[in-house]
Amino acid sequence: MEEAQNIVGQISGADIAAAAKYLAAGFVMAIGSIGSAIGEGIVAAHALDGMARQPEMEGALLRTMVLGQAITESTGIYSLVVAIVLLFVV
Amino acid sequence: MLEHLGEKLILHVSLGSFSFSFDILTVIMSWIVIIVLVVVALILRRGLGQDIEEKPSRTQAILESLIDLLKGQLTSSFSSDKLAKELFPFVSTVFMFVLVSNWLSVIPYCESPTKDLNVTLSLALLVFVMSQLLAVRMRGGIRYLKGFLEPYPFMLPLNIVSEIAKPISHSFRLFGNTFGGAILVTVVSAKFAPVLVPAALNAFYGLFVGAIQAFVFAILTVAYINVAVES
Repeated sequence: MEEAQNIVGQISGADIAAAAKYLAAGFVMAIGSIGSAIGEGIVAAHALDGMARQPEMEGALLRTMVLGQAITESTGIYSLVVAIVLLFVV
Repeated sequence: MLEHLGEKLILHVSLGSFSFSFDILTVIMSWIVIIVLVVVALILRRGLGQDIEEKPSRTQAILESLIDLLKGQLTSSFSSDKLAKELFPFVSTVFMFVLVSNWLSVIPYCESPTKDLNVTLSLALLVFVMSQLLAVRMRGGIRYLKGFLEPYPFMLPLNIVSEIAKPISHSFRLFGNTFGGAILVTVVSAKFAPVLVPAALNAFYGLFVGAIQAFVFAILTVAYINVAVES
């Protein structure tokens, strides 16, 4: 019990700030990647639907699909950048 | 291996009241990419120039089909054929620069220049300035300025923000992908699995994701220029 109190007494504000930093970086990546993952899945699913219906359109559909996924991915990339800034810069 | 993560070799130069800072590694790696591209181009240039209908050499046949592929994939989404023909060299140069930059990370002791936000941001700003200048040239200055008041005049701030957001998202997308891949490869090879696994990860993030992102960068270049010129 006394030992535990000693450990608690040794925790400084900087430790709490570091813990909050790592927690925040984890949460940013975990929550931020959900949206872009779902979005990319939807884009791929609909592109596949279109390709199955019209196989001759495959080239154009693939190009538009990659473009759409790249744009959808940007929110995930923003969260990655925020996580990197939290980990290495702040 | 991880002790040196994030350390950068910065060269500070001050000229009068201006001061510049260079990330030396990025500059050297960018020059390596440029030299590789120029030397390969000069080597491949020899023996070209025959008519494709006659009997072309092997290199020429391969290059012609590659150029056709690039043309079909990249510039076919331009609205006018004239614009596509005019901008094909620019778009394919951007594509090849980003592609070789991304693939450079596979070689030991080499780093992608695209791992540095400065490189990707300057490429994106190049595309941004180019698209705005082309829009002014194709539509005329007054119609270009009027475009910011569409559809209603009170949308002006929104239109300006959406124009400025384009180079930012364009550059951060490439930077985030290469930088995230590089961090993942470094951390895994230093902490978890130093044998064989980094090679597979390098192949995935360096070669596969690198090629996809170079393609995406070039496609978005085409899309941004097209939107700016058309609307």
